[in-house]
Amino acid sequence: MKVSFVGNFGGRPEVVKAVLGKVTEKFEPTVLFDIADGQRLIPALAEAEIVVSHIWKKDFPEAPRLKLLQSPAAGLDLIDLPSLPHGVTVCNVAGHEQAIAEYVLMTMLALSHRLVEIANGFRDRSSWAGGGAGGGPTHGEILGKTVGIIGYGRIGREVAKRAAAFGCTILAANRSPVADKGEASEIYPLGELDRMLPRCDVVVIAAALGGETRLLVDAGRLALMKPTAFLINIGRALIADEKALYDALRDGTIGGAALDVWWNYPSPAEPNVRPSNFPLHELPNVLMTPHCSSATDGARDRRLSGIAGNLDRFARGESLRNVVMTT
Amino acid sequence: MKVLFLGRFAGGHAPRVLARLATTPETEILADETDTARLAPALAGADIVVGLTWRADFPPAPRLKLLQCIATGVDRMDLAAVPRGVAVCNTLGHETPIAEYVMMTMLNLTHGLFHSVLSFRAGSWEASLQGGGARHGELLGQTVGIVGYGGIGREVARRAAPFGVRLLAANRSPVGDAVPVERVYPLADLDRMLPECDVVVIACALAPETQGLIDARRIRLMKPGAFLINIARGQIVDEEALYAALRDGRLGGAAIDVWWRYPTPSEPQPRPSRFAFHELPNVLMTPHSSSFTEGTAERRFGDIATNIDRCVRGEGPINVVTIV
Repeated sequence: MKVSFVGNFGGRPEVVKAVLGKVTEKFEPTVLFDIADGQRLIPALAEAEIVVSHIWKKDFPEAPRLKLLQSPAAGLDLIDLPSLPHGVTVCNVAGHEQAIAEYVLMTMLALSHRLVEIANGFRDRSSWAGGGAGGGPTHGEILGKTVGIIGYGRIGREVAKRAAAFGCTILAANRSPVADKGEASEIYPLGELDRMLPRCDVVVIAAALGGETRLLVDAGRLALMKPTAFLINIGRALIADEKALYDALRDGTIGGAALDVWWNYPSPAEPNVRPSNFPLHELPNVLMTPHCSSATDGARDRRLSGIAGNLDRFARGESLRNVVMTT
Repeated sequence: MKVLFLGRFAGGHAPRVLARLATTPETEILADETDTARLAPALAGADIVVGLTWRADFPPAPRLKLLQCIATGVDRMDLAAVPRGVAVCNTLGHETPIAEYVMMTMLNLTHGLFHSVLSFRAGSWEASLQGGGARHGELLGQTVGIVGYGGIGREVARRAAPFGVRLLAANRSPVGDAVPVERVYPLADLDRMLPECDVVVIACALAPETQGLIDARRIRLMKPGAFLINIARGQIVDEEALYAALRDGRLGGAAIDVWWRYPTPSEPQPRPSRFAFHELPNVLMTPHSSSFTEGTAERRFGDIATNIDRCVRGEGPINVVTIV
């Protein structure tokens, strides 16, 4: 069975090696890291029954034998679904949701407890401010706070499960109706997000990027948030309006943010590109990380096992896991 | 009936306690307890003292009924020198923020948050998934051992459970209902618990059994790369042994909120240890700030006011540590 590992995620040597180390069926692998290399992309797609890639462009060459497009990521926003051949099953991977939920709780706590400010002051200047001996303002707790989760999928539910144990009230907004509310006390249709936002002390963006969510958190919706509220984005940067978010954080119309997803990503030409076109890195109330919330050993292992498992299932003609759609 | 707020800390917070009183006792504030000329008459007339310390050389307090500590730990009170029959009470209400702090720092140490934040702010993507950078850990599947399974320890366990961690505890006295902790070791069997743990949380009171409990030998019993979180008292841990284990990388890291040195009027910003913990990148250090939240203040001032009211009305106090 021919499988092509394509792009700078699926075609990364350690990904290929780990997946091939976990499969039990026989595969003939082709690896193409650089999708700009058209000469090699053509044969890589022409023969493959399975492609492992997080990206699929409109101008990709033909893939007449393709039956399974297995993404090594959760988000399919870089896959141009209309240009896939007919009858292809598209699968993503899970296993990152626990790690990302840990990140959400960690940053929610760090923002509320002003951890970075207090710890840096103590280390750098021996300032005892923020504690009983040094005085200064007290910091916050998350007990009793209201956490609103935009996108109540796998990640959102894992966040809710953990936050509930801290005594938080959980609200969620979701595109489609939710049968099992889990720890959430109320679920809003995404169209009624405006009624949820003013109630939240913490807003977590955990939605996929799509037509309904692009620029969902715009200037108007940021203005609906409490002036003390924190925004945590682990979904996709494009769900929030970049300039409006920068303005709100700079002007203090919201309390702070933890951002792990960005508008600009590194490329070979610009390996150290600033992640935003606005100087978010100069704002003290922003906790910024380079899309590493799911970069844990455990999540990596769960995802690679998920890819290998689907490859084996496909080879044996068994039903696949994490199916998103069939074209 | 007279209430004396004694010391800088109690004196500073007296207005917030007084604002919550239902009764109207006479009150006095003496912020400088070393002012012996004022201390003698203040103690001679006090029925209730609200403070942090009680020293053996304090002048007599013949009318004293209630010694109300404004914090939880009464380790700065020389109980042998307190007049007989006095109820010594503390205040709680700090379990919530301290448990939040423990979870926050456990996550920070495991995920390497400070490293990602600092390098990213400086412009580097090396910690990113796409950058192929070094991966970090996660709590899922780790073993967390809590030394001292009291109010704080239980609040930590409750919050840690949904993260999918295995929970162990060690406690001086037997524990009835330990859920969600899988196993509670007697404190004397601590040596059997330590090698199991990826994270050790110190949440016990400072007492003769716990002073120096985490010494060089017990630190060696911990897993290589394990994290230590101390939110109890500095003296429970051997200062030099912990520093050496962190410097040499035998322990993966530590979050330390309680210290061996504290500010004094003559030295308001001391380094918190005679060892250079602040130079170690694997140490998350905070200035005894874990409980310093508005919520703790609200809960504590309310409890202290309740005890003053109860004493004025002749009712028994709450949060009694001991009757001397």
